[in-house]
Amino acid sequence: MTPVPTPAGPANAGSPVPEEFTIVSAAPRADCIADSAGGLTFDLDAPEGADASGHWSAALVLLRRGGNAVENADDEVRLPLTPNGDGRLRAVLPSTVPLPEGRWDVYVDVGEAELQRLLPGLADLRSLVDRRPGPSTSPLAVRIPYATKHGNLSLRSWQRAPHAEAGDLVLDAKGVTVHGVLHRAEDPAEWLAGAVAEARCRRDPELVCTVPLETAGHGFSFTVAHQELCERWEGGPDAWDLWLRRTDGSGEARVARLLDDVAEKKQIFVYPAQPVDAPYAPAQAGPYYTADNDLAIRVDERPPVS
Amino acid sequence: MHISFLIHNAYGIGGTIRTTFNLAGTLAEQHDVEIVSVFRHRDEPVFAPSGKVRLRHLVDLRKDSPGYEGNDPEYERPATVFPSTEGRYKQYSALTDRRIADHLRTLDCDVVVGTRPGLNVHIAQQARRGIARVGQEHLTLGTHAAPLKLTLRTHYPRLDAVTTVTEADAATYRKLMRLPGVRVEAVPNSIPAPVVAPADSTGKWVVAAGRLAPAKRYDVLVKAFGKVVAERPDWRLRIYGGGAEKAKLRALIDKLGLYNHVFLMGPANPLDPEWVKGSIGAVTSSLESFGMTIVEAMRCGLPVVSTDCPHGPGEIIDNGVDGLLVPVGKTDAIAAGLLKLINDDELRRRMGRAALENSARFDPAEIAGRYEHLFAELTGRGALRGSLHRTRGALLSGALRTKDAVRPALRRGSAA
Repeated sequence: MTPVPTPAGPANAGSPVPEEFTIVSAAPRADCIADSAGGLTFDLDAPEGADASGHWSAALVLLRRGGNAVENADDEVRLPLTPNGDGRLRAVLPSTVPLPEGRWDVYVDVGEAELQRLLPGLADLRSLVDRRPGPSTSPLAVRIPYATKHGNLSLRSWQRAPHAEAGDLVLDAKGVTVHGVLHRAEDPAEWLAGAVAEARCRRDPELVCTVPLETAGHGFSFTVAHQELCERWEGGPDAWDLWLRRTDGSGEARVARLLDDVAEKKQIFVYPAQPVDAPYAPAQAGPYYTADNDLAIRVDERPPVS
Repeated sequence: MHISFLIHNAYGIGGTIRTTFNLAGTLAEQHDVEIVSVFRHRDEPVFAPSGKVRLRHLVDLRKDSPGYEGNDPEYERPATVFPSTEGRYKQYSALTDRRIADHLRTLDCDVVVGTRPGLNVHIAQQARRGIARVGQEHLTLGTHAAPLKLTLRTHYPRLDAVTTVTEADAATYRKLMRLPGVRVEAVPNSIPAPVVAPADSTGKWVVAAGRLAPAKRYDVLVKAFGKVVAERPDWRLRIYGGGAEKAKLRALIDKLGLYNHVFLMGPANPLDPEWVKGSIGAVTSSLESFGMTIVEAMRCGLPVVSTDCPHGPGEIIDNGVDGLLVPVGKTDAIAAGLLKLINDDELRRRMGRAALENSARFDPAEIAGRYEHLFAELTGRGALRGSLHRTRGALLSGALRTKDAVRPALRRGSAA
C-alpha cells in the first residue's frame, strides 16, 4: 500500500522536529491530473534548494526503464518545471510529445548531481475512464501514471496507429467473441472492411488462426474458436496474440485495452477459462491481458476437478 | 488543552487509525495533541498525521531497529492488566502492561483518550487523578462478545466519558451498562473534504469500497448488480479493497458472467480519486458500526445506495434525499435502488449535490468541535465534583466486579 500524500499544507515545514516525532519522508511527491486527450499535468512542492523565483533549470525527467539516456536521446524526456501560480511547480506532458511505448520512471532535476526519484501523490485520472479519443491519424497516445512495487512514480506509455481497442469479451463453450473499436486509421470503417482477425501462436510463428471480422462503422467483432487453437497443442501453456490485419498487407493493429485509467489490466480484467477437449489431452482456454495490456488467449492443461 | 490519544498501532492501516489522525490533526490546530501508539512495527505511518501532532510509541517491534523489543522476555509473558476478553489480547504482554502503566502514571495532560476497549480499561485503572478519562468505542457494544461486555461493565464506571460513533450504540450503552456520572455521547467519525473535485454524476460507474470481508456482503452486491446489468448493460461496478473473500467473489462474477461489468480493483489509498470516477456509491453490508465509506462517497458528491443495517447507515443517509436505504440482503431491493438512480439522471444529480452538502457535518472541524466541547466540559467541572464521581465510580466498579465474578460461576453451576 502506498502512503498517502500529506494532507493539505506543507507538513513539518520549518524547524527540525525531535527524533521521536514522525518525520514525513523527504522524497517529493508529484500530484498528477490527466486530461481526456491523453495529456498529463504534474504538480509538486518545490524541492529544497530550488529557487522558484530565480534562475534555474528545474525539470521533470522521464527515463525509459531498461533504456540508456546517455546513448539514446529517445530514452529521456525532460519537461520544464515552472511555478504554477499556487506556490508549487508544474510540468506538463501533452499528448503531442512523443513518449515511446514502455515504462517510464519519473525523476526531478533541480540542478543537483543526482536526479531525485519522485513518489506518487494524488492521481486524478477520472478523465481517462471510458476515454473516447477523437478522430485523427496521429498515433494514439496513452499515458497512465502508477505507483511501482517499490512505491515510486512511473508512467505506462503506449503509442499506436491504428489501435484496436478491445471492449466486452463474450465467452461461451465454443470460444471467445471480442468486441472492439478501431481508432487512428484514416478511414476506420474502410480499414476494417478489408481486414481479418488473427490469433498468432507465440511458440510457433507458423501457427496462425485467421477469422473474419464483423464490422459496424468503427466497431468490430470476431470469434476465435478454442477448438481450433487446441488442435496443435501438445501440453504446457500456449499463448495466442490477437491482431487485426489488412488482407492487402497495408497494415495491422494489435488488439489491446488501453483507453482507461487502469495501468495494469492483467489482475483486474480477468476472465474464466473454458474447458476444451483437445486432441492431445483435456485442455482449457481463455482470454487474458498481457503485461502490456494486449489481448491474448491462453491454452493450458486443465486442472483435475477437485 | 493538552490532549493525549492512546492507540493500538498508529503505523498500520485501518478506520480507527485514520479517524484518530483526522481528529488529532484538527484538534492540534488549537490544542497540544499527541498520539501515543502502543506498538510501532514500521518507520513511517501509512497514513501521514498532521505535522502538528506528535507521535510516539511505547513498544518497538521494528526488527531492524536498535530498539527492537520483540525479543524482550517480558514480551513473551501474557498481559494481566490488558483484559484477556479483548480481541487483541494475544498481542499484549507483561511488557505492554508495564509500558502503558508507566505512560499513564506519568502522563501529564488534561484529557486522555483511549481508542479501543482494552486501552480504555488501562485508562480507567491507571490514568492519574485530575485527568479527564475518555474511552472511545469505534465498534459497537452489541458486537462485543459477552465476556468483554462484562469487562467493560466493570471498568467503564471509572471513565469520565464514553463516546460511540452512532446514537444507536450510545443508546445501547445507556441501556446495558450502569454508568452513573459517565457521559455517554455519540460523536461520529470525521471525514475530511476530498482533495479532488467532486464527481459530476456523468460516469456510468457504481463504486464500492471496503475490505472484502463477509460482513460487507459484496456477494449480495454482485448478484444485485447482475440484475442492474440486465436492464442497463451500459453501467458497470468497481469494488475497491482486498481481503479473504476475493477468490469467492471472483468465482461468483465468473459464474454469473459479469466479467465485463464487475471489477475487483484491489486496494486503493487514497480512495477519493476513485470515488469521483463513479456516480453512485454502493454499500450492502449486514453490519456497519459507523459507515466511513458512505460518508467518504458522499463527501465526493456521490449519492449512496446502502442497506439499512445496524448501526450507522440510517444515521448518515437521509433516505430519498441524499441517498437511498434498502433492506439488508435483498438483491431485488438493492438492484431497484441502484436502477432508480441510474435511470433518473436528474434525481442522481440532485441527490449527489445533497450528499455533498449534508456530509459536511462530518467535517473534521465539526467533529473536533464536538469533542472540544465535551473535553472542555469534562475538564471544566470542579475538582471536587470530579473526584466525587471518581469515588462513586470506584465503589460501583468494585461492586460490579464482585457481581460479575460471581455470575459466570453461577452460570456454570446452572449448566452442570
